[in-house]
Amino acid sequence: MTDAPAEVAGRIVVDGRPIEFADGDSVAVAIVRTGEVPGHGGCLCLAGDCGNCLAEVDGVAYVRTCQVAARPGTVVVRHPAGGKPQLPVVDWRDLTLMPVGSKIAVRRTEADVAVIGGGSSGQSAVEAARSAGRDVLLLDARDGSEVVGIYPGPSIVARDPGGMLHVRADEIVVATGSVEIQPACPGSDLGGIVTAGAAERLEAAGVDLGRVVHVGRELLRFEGDAGRVSAVVTVGMDATETTTPCETAVVDLGRAPRDVLARMSRAEGVSAVGPAAEDQPLPAPPRDGVVCPCMGTTVDDLEAAWDQGYTDLELLKRASWAGLGPCQGGACLPHVRSWIAARTSGPPPAPFTARPAARQITLAEAAADVAIDAFRRTPLHDEHLTLGARMDRFGGWWRPWHYGDAVAEYWAVREGVSVGDVSTLGKLVVSGPDVVEALERIYPCHVADIKPGRSRYALLLNERGHVMDDGMILRDAETRFTLTFTSGGAANAEMWLRDWIQTWGLRVHVMDRTMSLAAINVTGPLVKTLLARLGLEDAPRFLGHIRAEIAGVPCHVMRLSFTGETAFELHHPLDGSVALWRALMDAGRDLGVRPHGLQALFGLRLEKGHVIVGMDTELDTTPRRLGMDWAVRMEKPAFIGRASLERTAKLDDSRRWVGFSMDGEAPTEGSPIRSVENGEIIGNVTGSWTSPLLRKALMLGWQRRTPFADRVEIDGREAVVTPTPFYDPEGHRARA
Amino acid sequence: MPALEPVEGWRVVATPSALDGARWNGDDVDVLRIAPDEALALGATGVEIDDPDAIVEPEAGFSVAMLDVDDWHGVVDHIDWPLPEEPTVLAQGKVAGVPARIVLGEPTLLVVQAAYANELRSRLGW
Repeated sequence: MTDAPAEVAGRIVVDGRPIEFADGDSVAVAIVRTGEVPGHGGCLCLAGDCGNCLAEVDGVAYVRTCQVAARPGTVVVRHPAGGKPQLPVVDWRDLTLMPVGSKIAVRRTEADVAVIGGGSSGQSAVEAARSAGRDVLLLDARDGSEVVGIYPGPSIVARDPGGMLHVRADEIVVATGSVEIQPACPGSDLGGIVTAGAAERLEAAGVDLGRVVHVGRELLRFEGDAGRVSAVVTVGMDATETTTPCETAVVDLGRAPRDVLARMSRAEGVSAVGPAAEDQPLPAPPRDGVVCPCMGTTVDDLEAAWDQGYTDLELLKRASWAGLGPCQGGACLPHVRSWIAARTSGPPPAPFTARPAARQITLAEAAADVAIDAFRRTPLHDEHLTLGARMDRFGGWWRPWHYGDAVAEYWAVREGVSVGDVSTLGKLVVSGPDVVEALERIYPCHVADIKPGRSRYALLLNERGHVMDDGMILRDAETRFTLTFTSGGAANAEMWLRDWIQTWGLRVHVMDRTMSLAAINVTGPLVKTLLARLGLEDAPRFLGHIRAEIAGVPCHVMRLSFTGETAFELHHPLDGSVALWRALMDAGRDLGVRPHGLQALFGLRLEKGHVIVGMDTELDTTPRRLGMDWAVRMEKPAFIGRASLERTAKLDDSRRWVGFSMDGEAPTEGSPIRSVENGEIIGNVTGSWTSPLLRKALMLGWQRRTPFADRVEIDGREAVVTPTPFYDPEGHRARA
Repeated sequence: MPALEPVEGWRVVATPSALDGARWNGDDVDVLRIAPDEALALGATGVEIDDPDAIVEPEAGFSVAMLDVDDWHGVVDHIDWPLPEEPTVLAQGKVAGVPARIVLGEPTLLVVQAAYANELRSRLGW
């Protein structure tokens, strides 16, 4: 069976061992030539249809080795048996500076008709379309155009030697021919089994297959030794079994449509022709053994899923995992359909849907020139980098996580003065004769009594009374307000406001200023000293706001506090942001000013027990669950969510978001909260911080079991429920 | 490479009829009607408008690139939605996945909020 090539064209490295290959060998053929298998057994088709030859090739996992030409120096690593290849570890400190990998070219093209497959049926489709005067694009894998997927549109994504190809077509014709049916019986996962077509290819390549046994529909099972087939057992018409020893089993069970691509899209404009569209006889229903070699699904797995009620083919696929692997049913679909037909004594069900990718591609190929969410930068981005910030994505923006020492940043806020970039906050201006009416209906707090120059904290609720967002309502004039929202919730909040204003037919203008204004939070007991140096002599009192120039930059100065210390948010035009930031840093040098990042900010807010919507909350979090009933004025006749809150107020509620404290270091956010009585999980930690000031671990988190516990176990330690705010509960410092 | 530079102007939200009659101050003003009730006037130095509740704000939150034909061909490859066929019509959609506004013409204006400018430059290879 071991068969060195007559003429060596070079060597590849397989699992660290060099092996020789002949001219024209694929990687899979080169490996088979040594008497081994490229994967971990299973019938080889060598036509790119099954998943039995997948391996890592030159660092790329899940490559069909039968489709890759062996070249000198190619490095092949077989995937772990029954496991997945290991992912590479990446630890970039600053993702904004991450080097970009080699760029993969993407070409876009359009055609009236795109034909996939250049065999006889494909050529017929090409000729028919051309004779009708239509512009035709032919994609043939033999020419290097491997179609990865068909998508609504319809459109095609393909890989070719030039990179990735994106095709938009009025009509897509799938003419991919047929595949050889794989065996599904005991022992079909052994090595040394090949389809008839694969045997022809191996023989043509001069590979010695040893003692070969050809087997068809009389196949009962394979027997093996040390992972390789050693005999084929067949059953005759009279039910007698015959065992035939072999070194290679060649299977010919008929053919099935090569319809993976056709099954990807049922969209208008996609059709299959030729053998890819022809209903072929199904194999005998499998009785035992592996049905889906990609996922390892056995007949027993099908039985178990069926017995649970998953009797629709699409559901059976999901429940049993048959067909979810790389070949998307290319190997198992005929067997599963046959099995269902036998089970129901009815006709076989229509084939299940296939999902891209029909050819495994790298993340770089999938992402090449494909737009993912764009993360925004504040005008202070470069200032943060200059100051050594570690940037991270948060709420749709790049934000500084820390500047090297989050604890020092914390102390600057608590004992001195600090600046933070809050440009990412949502900012809307609303104006109009009906604006008070609109805001009274939208917010659960009072709005009409907010005087110009004053502001109020507000929750934003949906119709079910669940918290969507929070922020400030600042009254600029009788009929004009500024509203702020969380960074991540701003876009949704804007749509929410616009929808309701339009629904109610109220006369209110809305302007989104989120990306037009930057904002710097200046906070700490020395903040007034710093701002006075830059021109703010008469600072507004707590919850007041004024317009003032600071360091020559026109600012909307808002007095509020998220940190628990005296704080001012300076909202200003983008083009003044860097100058203002530098002026604050320069003027505060002798005060020990330093910037703070999100890590310190989250710790500061946690000590105050402030909620971060989206981080602490869930989709059905109510003000009551947060302990924030004070932010809801049920005496108001109407606001969004009021009816739901009134109704649910009469019901018991088994969830509360509360504070916890314990000695030692803070546990990981997300840690389970357990009952001290029986160890059962009764909640989870949403925020966690080792307080440098209070010298203990402080946490915020959910209790989901009544009666609510006074003591819980977190991270193997006992924690006690502790009223919030943990720090300055009277709020003297914020108002100072 | 085309320059994608910050631009100043005025932004106004008002009743559609008031916006229709707005008088923009400044030379070489490009008015983009980004919604029936909203206009972005690039290069404007002020505006007179007949709506007492209009929100009128100076705007420095956008960046603009002026594209010649060759530049524009490089951008079109990153647009996967149908563009209007008439020139000077404002088109709004994603360019390389980044929200943007386009006014076809000679030159073509590519307008993006400044917070996205760096990302767009990077995606377009500028």
